[in-house]
Amino acid sequence: MTAADVPMRRHGRAATRALAFYAGLVFAFLYLPIAVIVLFAFDDKTVPGLPMAGFTTQWFARAFADGELVGGLATSVRLALCSAVLATAIAMPGAMVLAWRDVKVRTVVMCLVLAPIVVPQIVIGLGLILLFRAAPGLIGEPAIIIAHTTLTACYATMILYSRLLGFKRSYIEAAMDLGASDVRVFVEIILPLAAPALVAVLLLAFTDAFGEYIVAWFVAGFTKTLPIVIWGSMRGVLSPAVNAISAVIIAVSLALSVAAQIWIIRQTRAGRA
Amino acid sequence: MSAGEQGIRLDRVSKRYGAAVAVDDVTLDIAPGEFVTLLGPSGCGKSTLLRMISGFADPSDGDIRIDGRSIVGLPPFRRDTAMVFQDYALFPHRTVAQNLAFGLRMRKLARPEIARRVERMLAMIELPGMGGRRIDQISGGQAQRVALGRSLIVEPAVLLLDEPLGALDLKLRRQMQSELKRIQREMRLTFLYVTHDQEEALTMSDRIAVMRGGRVEQYGTPTEIYNAPRTAFVADFVGEANLLPVEIASIEERLVSLRGRVLRAAEAGFETVRAGDAASIAIRSEAVGLSPPDEPGMVRLPAVADEILFLGAAVKLVVVIEGGGRMTATLPAGTPLPARGEAVTIGWRTADARIVT
Amino acid sequence: MTIADGPMDGSATAAAGAAAASARRARRQTIGGLLPIVAWQTLFFAVPMGILFVYSFWTMKDYRLDTTVTLANYVRIFTNPIYLKGFLLSLQVALFVTVVCGVLAFPVAYFIAKKAGRWRVLLLIMVILPFWVSLIMRAFAWRLLLGERGVINQGLELTGLIDAPFSFLLYSPTAIVIGLIYAYLPLYVLPLYASIDKVRDSWIAAAQDLNATPMRAFWEVTFPLAFPGLMVGAVFCFIFGLGEYVVPALLGGGKSLVIAQVIRMEFELRQNWPGGAAISMVLMAFIIALLALTLRWIRPEVAR
Repeated sequence: MTAADVPMRRHGRAATRALAFYAGLVFAFLYLPIAVIVLFAFDDKTVPGLPMAGFTTQWFARAFADGELVGGLATSVRLALCSAVLATAIAMPGAMVLAWRDVKVRTVVMCLVLAPIVVPQIVIGLGLILLFRAAPGLIGEPAIIIAHTTLTACYATMILYSRLLGFKRSYIEAAMDLGASDVRVFVEIILPLAAPALVAVLLLAFTDAFGEYIVAWFVAGFTKTLPIVIWGSMRGVLSPAVNAISAVIIAVSLALSVAAQIWIIRQTRAGRA
Repeated sequence: MSAGEQGIRLDRVSKRYGAAVAVDDVTLDIAPGEFVTLLGPSGCGKSTLLRMISGFADPSDGDIRIDGRSIVGLPPFRRDTAMVFQDYALFPHRTVAQNLAFGLRMRKLARPEIARRVERMLAMIELPGMGGRRIDQISGGQAQRVALGRSLIVEPAVLLLDEPLGALDLKLRRQMQSELKRIQREMRLTFLYVTHDQEEALTMSDRIAVMRGGRVEQYGTPTEIYNAPRTAFVADFVGEANLLPVEIASIEERLVSLRGRVLRAAEAGFETVRAGDAASIAIRSEAVGLSPPDEPGMVRLPAVADEILFLGAAVKLVVVIEGGGRMTATLPAGTPLPARGEAVTIGWRTADARIVT
Repeated sequence: MTIADGPMDGSATAAAGAAAASARRARRQTIGGLLPIVAWQTLFFAVPMGILFVYSFWTMKDYRLDTTVTLANYVRIFTNPIYLKGFLLSLQVALFVTVVCGVLAFPVAYFIAKKAGRWRVLLLIMVILPFWVSLIMRAFAWRLLLGERGVINQGLELTGLIDAPFSFLLYSPTAIVIGLIYAYLPLYVLPLYASIDKVRDSWIAAAQDLNATPMRAFWEVTFPLAFPGLMVGAVFCFIFGLGEYVVPALLGGGKSLVIAQVIRMEFELRQNWPGGAAISMVLMAFIIALLALTLRWIRPEVAR
């Protein structure tokens, strides 16, 4: 290394440090709102704002005594669970075929599957409610499940498809060669090896359905999901109880997603072999 | 379909993908307990043939029979074949023992029986006590053995091996070659082995089918393939041969004409040609000598030394023969060598020059 | 054993028959596997889009649907300023957000891909993590931050930087832009990261070895290779920004409406479904045109 290189290296290191600082700022920007929700959930002022007055947990108690909030939470969990399972269930066979079979109409199928991603949700919501005018009995919980399944099935298929593309065909062939029928191959080989992707897709679909507002609003009828309840409460007086329940949900979903990520990384590592 | 037929029989098997022909009218017999190798460059159809036997592809034409019974149309899991995959395809979510047990579980054997046979197989593949290891905890050579064991344990009518040693380094490869041979002898199983490595094929096989463009060019013992190649392709692909384009001058006299110079060639090979035909003579590089004695039964050619390659135990001398064309002679180390550009005489025994088409 | 010891034609047809049978089995499995997703998306996505298309040529008269085919809805969209203003605001916001997001996201993606070392996976997870919190809650948090009595104003006042609170922060296009940048930034970092990650260090080293300065090496090697990722991020950011409802509705204040709000207003307040359908169709036409124009950059990326 010549002497001339030294200032250059130093310059490079300074640039890296500046880059790191900048990245830190962006991360702060990403987490600021989340931090604010959690912080104000513990503040005992009725109108959230600085300076913070004092520590309290009363908003949590109030939130969980609030029938509308808790009811919305339960409804959302139930409906999101249904649509996540449904979306994964219809996505998996399609993804397997798209990844492993010669499909002549692949482009058409892909377009149909992917299109909902680029269509604004408000448009999908409007279209769905006009469709459900033909079957008004479905408006409410079934319609919400259907709507969220439609929204999530597209990327569920894409994620599973891209994971299955990297799946070694020879695993399946080896199992069949050793005497496993189609069903046994699915149970013994495909399911365990695709488990990380399936869990990721289930979680993603659940979270998306759980927090989605506008499409659900169109087809909800008198059903109140948590986002619909929160939206309504934001029109009126903002209660810190909403903060509290949001904080709980944030904590649960962050913990869940971190746990899932760690598990998925472990599984993938073990499965790399 | 003759009753009492033993072993595997491929009967005029073809495989077409649209207009492309992957396997073209192949007929092949494999006796029980035989080690047969399909040898050829990539894309010659050898792997497709293997996949048709194992059931991952269906022949477009022809029949495949095991012990006289056609297996065409049977799904892979109903065939008594087992395949060792090129990438091993060991299930990463299962241990070594669980991988070995897989085929037996699919065949619904009782648990104690499975455990017993897994133990025995672990000993056979020289991995005793390693059944509990995860697949990512074993070395490449060990993974190779497990893959082999997983297929052997079901005692298939035929074991299909698709370039199973391709991923191993040279030393391990040699070691596994003899081990494969040993296991095959001990278990008296039929092996159908696919490789593009001619040395591997010569070492291990009872019979070799040299394939090219979907067809079998020649099917015979390693000695036959090596010493009596029937086509220019076989001569060139197996070992190192000098191929010289000639014209057949006389069938009775066994004479050919190499750019106007009339030479005598070995008797075999003349049955398939007529006088005036264009053909080639193939001469193994180790059959080519430097400054050969001038005696009957010897062909001598003037040439100019062009390149000398030192190989350790041998030396390779590349010469330009009179009238153009290059020939390679493999000479024992210690042979006095000419300088580059020096005029030399090379030669071979008449019996070593074979007509190929 | 001779070759012709059996009825050759018989076995040949047997093979052909077996091949045909297994081809049929494969076809059945292919169709069976695709059927659920294709049927679902047809019924609950394609059909509703078709219904919207048909509705857009109908009209609403005295709260009754009039199924006379007319272009009146479209004429109204292109002549009535409220619709044009909605489209214009959406376009402005989406464009601005797309550009700012790209500028903000590129250094972060570059840092994670090239400089973060063993922190890479953790940082990547941290970028995605906010996605797991409902957008509604995160937008709601921005109301706490941006309001006249919000955290940012109060913080600035407490530190004595300003005397009177900024009133333009919340309920303004500024708030919409901040909220959308926040919402789409992770979406932008991911494809960028993926393409920068593919740029091998040895390529950059080779460029520098050939006497390119680090800056020059970046513009000659890294940036061109990262460009497809930048385009994917930009296109999706722009499309999502155009149609976004939640963030503008929560932070925009309702003085000027983005097009998604106009659609909901048509539906909810005016009960004018055909009007909403027609706006949706115009919006979709715009998005499809945009995708068609940028397809050559995003196709290989999406295909991955």
